Amino acid sequence: MGGFNGSNGFRVLAGRRGHLGARLLEALAGAAERSPDGPQVWAPRVARRLGLPAAAGLGSATFYADLAAPRGRRHVRVCAAAACFAARAGRQLTEVEEALGVAVGGVGRNDVSLQAVRCLGFCYASPGCLDGDTPCVGPTLTEQLAGGLPPVAPAIPARDVTGDPVALAGIVAGEEPWTVWPEAVATGAAQRVLAEVAASGLRGRGGAGFPVSAKWAAAGGSPDTVVVANGDEGDPGSYADRLLMEADPARVLEGLALACLACGARRAVVLVRSEYPQALTRMRAAVGQAYADGHLGGSVHGSEVNLDVEVVEGAGSYVAGEETALIAGLEGGRGCARSRPPYPTRQGLWDAPTVVNNVETLAAVPWIVRRGGNAYACRGTRTETGTKLVCLSERFARPGCYEVELGTPVIHIVTELGGGLQEGAELGALQVGGPLGGFLPPDGLDVPLTEADLARHGAALGHAGLVAFDRRVTGREVLRHVWEFAAAESCGACSPCRVGSRRGLEITGSGTPSEEYTRLLRVMGQASLCAFGRRVPAAVRSLARAYGDELGEWDR
Amino acid sequence: MRVDVDGVAVHLEDGASLLDAVRLAGGELPTLCHDDRLTSVGSCRTCLVRSGGSVVAACVTPAVDGAVVEVTTGELRGLRRDAVELIVSALPPRALDGGADGGELARICHELGLAPDSAQGQGGRGRDDTHPYVHLDRDLCIACGRCVRMCAEVQGTFALTLTGRGADTVVAPGTGGSWADSDCVSCGGCVDTCPTGALTEPGLPVGDRARTSGRTHTTCGYCGVGCSLEVLTRDGEIVAVLPDHDGPVNRGHACVKGRFAHGFLHASERLIRPLLRRDGLLTPVSWSEALDHVARGLREAVAAGGPDAVAAISSARATNEENYLIQKFMRVAVGTNNVDNCSRLCHAPSAAGLTAAFGLSGGTDSLDDVEGADCLLLVGANPVEAHPVVGARLLRRVLHGARLIVADPRTVGLAHHADVHLRPLPGSNVALFNGLAHVMLAEGLVDDDFLRHRVAGLPELTALLDGYGPDQVAALTGVPAGDLLEAARLYGRAERPAIVYGLGVTEHLHGTDGVRALANLAILRGAVGTGHGFGINPLRGQNNVQGASDMGALPDLLPGYAKVTDPAARARAADVWGAPVPDRPGMRIPEMFAAARAGTLRTLWIVGEDVCATDPDTVRVTEALETCPLVVCQELFLSETARHADVVLPAAAWLEKDGTFVNFDRRFQRVRPALDPPGDARTDFAAVHALASALGVDLGCRTPAEALAECARVAPLFAGISHERLDREGAVPWPCPDPFRPGEASLYRERFSTSDGLAHLAACPYLPPGETPDDHYPLVLVTGRRWAHYNSGNMTRRTANLQLEGVDLLDLHPADAARCGLGEGDPVTVRSRYGRAVLTAHLSDDMVPGQVFCAFHFPSSGVNTLTSRHADTVTSCPEYKVTAVRLIPGCV
Repeated sequence: MGGFNGSNGFRVLAGRRGHLGARLLEALAGAAERSPDGPQVWAPRVARRLGLPAAAGLGSATFYADLAAPRGRRHVRVCAAAACFAARAGRQLTEVEEALGVAVGGVGRNDVSLQAVRCLGFCYASPGCLDGDTPCVGPTLTEQLAGGLPPVAPAIPARDVTGDPVALAGIVAGEEPWTVWPEAVATGAAQRVLAEVAASGLRGRGGAGFPVSAKWAAAGGSPDTVVVANGDEGDPGSYADRLLMEADPARVLEGLALACLACGARRAVVLVRSEYPQALTRMRAAVGQAYADGHLGGSVHGSEVNLDVEVVEGAGSYVAGEETALIAGLEGGRGCARSRPPYPTRQGLWDAPTVVNNVETLAAVPWIVRRGGNAYACRGTRTETGTKLVCLSERFARPGCYEVELGTPVIHIVTELGGGLQEGAELGALQVGGPLGGFLPPDGLDVPLTEADLARHGAALGHAGLVAFDRRVTGREVLRHVWEFAAAESCGACSPCRVGSRRGLEITGSGTPSEEYTRLLRVMGQASLCAFGRRVPAAVRSLARAYGDELGEWDR
Repeated sequence: MRVDVDGVAVHLEDGASLLDAVRLAGGELPTLCHDDRLTSVGSCRTCLVRSGGSVVAACVTPAVDGAVVEVTTGELRGLRRDAVELIVSALPPRALDGGADGGELARICHELGLAPDSAQGQGGRGRDDTHPYVHLDRDLCIACGRCVRMCAEVQGTFALTLTGRGADTVVAPGTGGSWADSDCVSCGGCVDTCPTGALTEPGLPVGDRARTSGRTHTTCGYCGVGCSLEVLTRDGEIVAVLPDHDGPVNRGHACVKGRFAHGFLHASERLIRPLLRRDGLLTPVSWSEALDHVARGLREAVAAGGPDAVAAISSARATNEENYLIQKFMRVAVGTNNVDNCSRLCHAPSAAGLTAAFGLSGGTDSLDDVEGADCLLLVGANPVEAHPVVGARLLRRVLHGARLIVADPRTVGLAHHADVHLRPLPGSNVALFNGLAHVMLAEGLVDDDFLRHRVAGLPELTALLDGYGPDQVAALTGVPAGDLLEAARLYGRAERPAIVYGLGVTEHLHGTDGVRALANLAILRGAVGTGHGFGINPLRGQNNVQGASDMGALPDLLPGYAKVTDPAARARAADVWGAPVPDRPGMRIPEMFAAARAGTLRTLWIVGEDVCATDPDTVRVTEALETCPLVVCQELFLSETARHADVVLPAAAWLEKDGTFVNFDRRFQRVRPALDPPGDARTDFAAVHALASALGVDLGCRTPAEALAECARVAPLFAGISHERLDREGAVPWPCPDPFRPGEASLYRERFSTSDGLAHLAACPYLPPGETPDDHYPLVLVTGRRWAHYNSGNMTRRTANLQLEGVDLLDLHPADAARCGLGEGDPVTVRSRYGRAVLTAHLSDDMVPGQVFCAFHFPSSGVNTLTSRHADTVTSCPEYKVTAVRLIPGCV
């Protein structure tokens, strides 16, 4: 009889129950917040109330970190990711645990719970925490948490170095949003938008680098198409999407609207990760404003275009930013990657053609439509056009988010823009492109910032977060940190990554690398289901190379 | 499309995967997360091949024309081995127990040469052994999700999920607590598909299969689905009963009953010696003593009242051969047509109604066809509980896109998945079906061409249906007119609709009318005998209730449904049997009891039926048994009926018998003994022969195979069927007049089997039920089956199924409960005009206010003392589905 052809029984059943999807996760999140008990207690009930099998609730609730984490009355999320690790030389968790008197993953006295999360987007001012939804950031973090100092959360330093900002056009140059959309929609300029974006050579900025216009075209122009703005900026070290969603959400929405126009889509979803509560608030407000201003809704600006946008909150999972996993999450399921084909552009959200574009990608679209694809294509390099936001971590002298032309040498970004490392700090290795990216050695920074060039040096562009590790941490500690991230965020959908990420952590934690480690890296790299598992081996290999002799035996 | 696998060209259908291609080329790959019945997910990543320059998991990679696939290079072999080794590295060493004879993972490791020390997991995740039939060892779980997909996609219960993430991912019951308290319905599918032994059943630890000494293929002896099973035995004990992956109906699936409920075989109260009533007490005696007593009694009865003073109730649980022999014994050795079987109490209206409409006494199409339907109309049946494997297959069809209309007062089983759920008042079926027919006719949702050429009775029906407009029907049935319209349109507009129904249609005062009115819909739609639509198909309750009737264990019909009043049919049988066949139809079961009470029936022989528990109005049934001078009972246990018998003969159970059953879609399938009967217990086949011998009669056909061969000579419908053929071919459906041609799974493609060759519409007016509630008995009681038990429960109550459902519940709506002052779990006394039962209240929103529901699996509760003496006006099938009752809190 065969199975459900690229789907699964739970999805099909949920489909018959009216596509509750995101409502299930919302209801689960609500229950998680209200209940001191684990998901075993409330998740089955929540699902049943929505007419779904109990198992649908429990499966999802135990998958997402936010839902599974024990909750006290006061819930603190502490960042365990790269920049915060680098800022406190790996001590930040212990410091916060001591300050609050509760271990990570537990509920302590005074009903305080502590959850380790991987990146809150305060990498420029690490370490960071969210006390409830209130950020506490910086070297005085523990005092802030203990109540000795008021919470501090410096704004993201943002700077354009190109002279003609694209993504930062609003934030640094005061360019108004929603200037392109009214005319585009009124004149039915779908083809023109598609053509300009095709001419621009714009590629996905979320890491995969897929040509945007090709993805739009792949959806085939079906009116059922759904466009998803992926605001699940999971890469530790990158906070560009947070900047855009908090400081210029309207530009992202305008880009999303233009993408919908080009795809013929009437529905869009903005997914904002739960680690960015401020971005969620701002994005929701921007959507409300856009409806009020007639940019969204029925018969937009007198045209025949109807466009509805919904904002959905994530629930704590790195892999859930991968497009198939993201769609699974929007359907209320476990945020696991699935094998492709079918590709989401053919069979995505509830089987509708689905285009998933990263927030930064969408933020570039209004500029491209206004100025023309060719104007964009002239920028960057010939093969990798345009500009890119790069994020520099706290260890730099001048951390912040910079818009640069693609092809700018990394060494220029590090030394000229970032001003090198803070006084007294010596670079051990530079992580480029997040946990699935790679590491460059201090003497190997003369690499143009393009996907192709970085790949040649064992790194990757990824989301273009640059996290500097100084000499206070050893290569071995960084290696262990990378494996910790992999083990904590592996979705578990495929065995190489599910077992390999834990085993890799065990091996780096205890022993010396053996033949087993070599085989493990090979299986993970070649056989994993999605890019997460496939990229981890490359990342740890490049790390081993970046540290040279120190990690020589780990270069396998 | 053509795919090159290591230089071998294979040709594949669209939609095939690279795994299909590799297998077709004769290759083998480890596939730990794959099961052909389930969606492929590519989770274990061990079926690695190279195609298009990349390493891919073959199971989830679509084959494309011209693809070149590398499988056997050293690099790929190594990679696959490493992928398996990585999985094993996290498991404890016991994961490899059994080696080549172990579970799937152990076997693969053995083949790949992975040593047990590859498994270096520390374990510590714990076990869940709370459930009687499914045990979980979390340390062996590899998160492949096969069990989860099995439960969702094949069983349709959605009881399981993967929980946690990353390395902590592990299967768990979705309700968050123990397995025993979960939604699991114990189908065993998860255990069956688990590749590692994380899920096992007690008694069959993974890696232990080699130690089983016997394997017997047989057919399940519980409900009428006809699941094909493989019975593993060791030292005269059953180790496990596994579903047969090639089973034509179950296709590798089973349910809590067939799969697990075999413990009754060795229950301490199993009858192993004949019992004879002496000084009022049933006393163990030898077979010869018991048989002499019966023979003497029979002779006395015939001497005093003629052959018709003797009657037999044959058994729907017995084999065809046994039923054949029993009816032959009655007709030949005694000389009476007084033989009936329990289809009288369930689907006699189907036999009558379907024969009148179409010509043959059975469903019109096979389940395989029904599964191809785009719209299912499920009426008065809860297959999810009563016929779980069919329920699962129907749900699967619905999840694959078929529309579903359920007509049932309760929101149970498939009703949760219905596009339209009609909830007619019990007893209002005919009005409901007429209402649907009215809409179909009014809106032109009928097959005019079919009606013109192949149907009789349209004018009469059209005239009748004038009075069944949606509003009128809404008033009669309580079904909102809008729902009626929607249902009629869904069914009427479907390309290939199918009707499946159960006892909710038949067990009524006008049950036969119900069947006719329901059959009208299929006829109007041209959905029977045409290939566009799959007719109308009853779900039979017991394993061989179809066969018992097929074999002529009926008072008016000979084997193969020839009428006893037809001289030619009698002559044909007499010719084979070498004895005359009585020409007057015999008594039906209720008439037998009436005759016993009246003193005219002097011997009643009851084979495998607990009539004191399962027949309606049991107070009067018991009275009949007490009045009858000789009651002989063949039983597994000392049932209520056996307690009232004069002679009790210990019987063999289905796992101890040789013969055949006919399932609900008319398939003959082999039944083979996995064990010997215990003690002096005998098969009914042997017992009938022994009794005939005691009377000095030789019935011939010494073996079951000979009996079926003889039946084939008596009944043209079965002329092509024999044990030898079934052993060769598996299942064969009847009609099968020719040993060299297949049986007819779908009927009436050329013509209907009625005398004029036409399908007959019936103009049956709605008539009210026999039982109506009043101020004194304000509620309507409906009885039926629950998932873990079967019929009187004499088998299932003697197994661990009792741990799954151990309390006899009365389901009622919370509003009724509040009115009666009842809370969840309270004891409640149910009174009807006939009797009294004590049950436990269970509040449920699945019920309609004013209606209550219970099963009759626990005879000691007395449910069938409540049910009435009303019966179908055509066939005497009891009106089980409507009894007016009142509730009194407590045990009074």
